Amino acid sequence: MTEVDADLIAHMSDPKNYGTLESPDAIGVGENPENGEKVIIYLRVSRTEQEPLIEDIRFQVIGCMTTVVAGSIVTQEAKGITLSVGEQLVAATLGMLENVPPEEAACSEMVALSLQAAMDTYRHKQKDPNFGTITYKITHSCSTEEKQ
Amino acid sequence: MKTLLIKTHELWLETLMTGFASQGETRIKLYDFSEIIFRHFTWLEHHMVTQGEAYDYDRDTIPIKTERLGVLLDDIGRRVSELDFQLMACTDEHLGQRISSDLKYISGTLAKMNDVAVTAFDGSRKLDGITLTREATDALTLFLFEESYKEYELIMIYNYLQAHSQDAFLNRIFQIMIDESKFHLRSFGQMMAEMGILGVPRTIHKSLYQIEDVQQFLKDGIEEEIAAKEMCRELSDAVAKDSKELAEFFDFINFQEDYHISLMREALVHYEKLATDG
Repeated sequence: MTEVDADLIAHMSDPKNYGTLESPDAIGVGENPENGEKVIIYLRVSRTEQEPLIEDIRFQVIGCMTTVVAGSIVTQEAKGITLSVGEQLVAATLGMLENVPPEEAACSEMVALSLQAAMDTYRHKQKDPNFGTITYKITHSCSTEEKQ
Repeated sequence: MKTLLIKTHELWLETLMTGFASQGETRIKLYDFSEIIFRHFTWLEHHMVTQGEAYDYDRDTIPIKTERLGVLLDDIGRRVSELDFQLMACTDEHLGQRISSDLKYISGTLAKMNDVAVTAFDGSRKLDGITLTREATDALTLFLFEESYKEYELIMIYNYLQAHSQDAFLNRIFQIMIDESKFHLRSFGQMMAEMGILGVPRTIHKSLYQIEDVQQFLKDGIEEEIAAKEMCRELSDAVAKDSKELAEFFDFINFQEDYHISLMREALVHYEKLATDG
């Protein structure tokens, strides 16, 4: 079972960057096709830099507290970084999934894919302002029974 | 009207949370006020539904972490004053007057409440007279965060369904589910405050309450209630050797879920009958 410490309690009682942004530059969704749980990420991207930079970020969760905690941690790391560093953050998060319990892996994957979806949506919107919202579906199952 | 609804939603939650963080007579009064404010919320919502005004349950986050009750009481007082001012935007004059009258009394009573130290956010994770193992404490902590949000979510979902239903049979069920979830939220909130881990539930995404397929929602809800029963049973087992009282409380919550499942099944049959009858 997850060990609870002060950091975890802080993320659960006051998740960082939780909510929405008014008129975001891009929205991305990560979805668990098994149960319909979702993470929605809202990005405000600064265009003044040579490379696009995540100026502000918010997220919402339709799912469990583990996903909220993962969203709180990842969005804190994503705030203020360029999109290319954002790609590295997604890759690093996805790379760690095999080392965590299945239910936590599914939650973290959902957050990482929603960030990837938001960044990809942003790039598409630069070419087509009417482009919608990308949704990526996770591959990990959060059901421990299926893994056994 | 939309701002009025949002501000009332925020005031209800902060008053309720401050009730959890307080003790004795102050707690009882704050619970009463939170119930009055929740009724204001439903009246404003009903007015908007009848006027065909679009609305949702979006709101700002509500910071409540403090070491003094006076800070929270002052903030509720500020919100009450702002809300009273916002009532000028209420398009139902009589409703506005009724709410304003309640707010004036609430404001006067808040001003007389004592400023005392608050331990609801100190992170002690201890319950009076009960010593739990580290594992049991962790399990209880995770359960309380997960389920306090869930109860808030259910209150808002059933409230939204009730606001958009004219069916007396269904509305009776929705009201019971709201009352049950309020009781659970209060039980869990008080326990979180005692353990120093109180937090305001996060906002709810629109898709959760603006339900397109209520029958599917009820079917999924029954499955969730069954899972919640199992969580209560596991938690009861985890704390049983340290506290018979706490174990009995979670058994009690577990068995209450049976009643919720029965009500949801009744609602489901009713919806199916409505669909068949056309």
